[in-house]
Amino acid sequence: MPCPSPSRLLLCIALLAGATSAAAAAPDAVKADVASRLQAQVPGLSAADYALGAEAFDGELRATREAAAAAAPGVVDAGKRLWNRKFANGKTLGSCFPNGGRRVAAAYPQYDARLKRVVTLEMAVNQCLKSNGEPIHELADGETMGAIIAYLRSLSDGLKMNVRVPVAAEEKLDEGRRLYFTRMGQRNFACASCHVQSAGKRYADQPLSPAIGQATHWPVVREGRAVTLQARIRECLETMGAAPFPAGGDELNHIEYFLAYISNGLPLKANVGRLRGSSPP
Amino acid sequence: MRRLGVALLSCTLAAPAFGQEALDLFVKAEKGNCIACHQLPEGAGPVTRNDVGPRLTGERMRALGKPSIRAAIDDATRANPDSVMPPYGRHRILDAREIDRLTEFLHALP
Repeated sequence: MPCPSPSRLLLCIALLAGATSAAAAAPDAVKADVASRLQAQVPGLSAADYALGAEAFDGELRATREAAAAAAPGVVDAGKRLWNRKFANGKTLGSCFPNGGRRVAAAYPQYDARLKRVVTLEMAVNQCLKSNGEPIHELADGETMGAIIAYLRSLSDGLKMNVRVPVAAEEKLDEGRRLYFTRMGQRNFACASCHVQSAGKRYADQPLSPAIGQATHWPVVREGRAVTLQARIRECLETMGAAPFPAGGDELNHIEYFLAYISNGLPLKANVGRLRGSSPP
Repeated sequence: MRRLGVALLSCTLAAPAFGQEALDLFVKAEKGNCIACHQLPEGAGPVTRNDVGPRLTGERMRALGKPSIRAAIDDATRANPDSVMPPYGRHRILDAREIDRLTEFLHALP
């Protein structure tokens, strides 16, 4: 593996060291490697620009989407209603989260040491429903889970992403990185083919968002429905000619973990509008 | 005037390969979908701003030559492992006849 830059050298050393002896700095090296590649691809892009995703490269697109966001139907309101709906035992979803769900979303996904799994915000919502004896929602359903996530993330609007990767979870993070950089499907694309190697260029008349920042602005509202990050990744996998990983499966959870971690420090923004027919970044 | 004459000649030469089938192979998402990444010369197909791959011009294509165009469509990663172009032949996205049609189409671009 060629390792021309210091950050890539760090990554190589971390990878060669192996999971058992992985140093605490390994996640930092993963992030530095992606940042270094993107800096080469889109030099001069500021941190604020990364948080904008594809809109950083197209002012007209940004203006159009902002107008669409303002006119977006009440997905967040629908999520709020579901959030506040009383369970049979009288509790609500808010009872399962600190501060009733305020200021928690920027720290997700989280590694659950008991389950030994990466837990996304959607999974945490379903864990809450299950533990209270309520029926769970389909993870990919925009009208229920998507709306709840739109509301829950809106309670953290503007907070900086702050996803932690304990030593026990470094392997999960690295799995997410590996999947993101692995070519797959009939078209032989990796996620990174577009969002690292070609970030800022236009594919199918849309600018390609950089990998850093991709986890900040979800869910998007498209045609009146919330589309979660994992739902969008599944659409990308279909474009790549690959069978999409199951929603909520470890593969997508680890990719989301990777994307969220490398977006640390960028402001979270929920409920970004999308025009009919346009792809989210 | 001379430039106009050359342009007209190019169009005349390119016209036979500009059949709907070749353009469909270039444009349709379930076929080549080449248009998602590349731009065509004016008049040769839909106008886009896509630039993941290089702008395709007749001059560039003829400089490459048909064998190289064909090889790139078949599997661009053989010549450049970092290429993000889908390996249309190796992954059987297009069959040999379709790759030939596309090669002719590209080689005859204005």
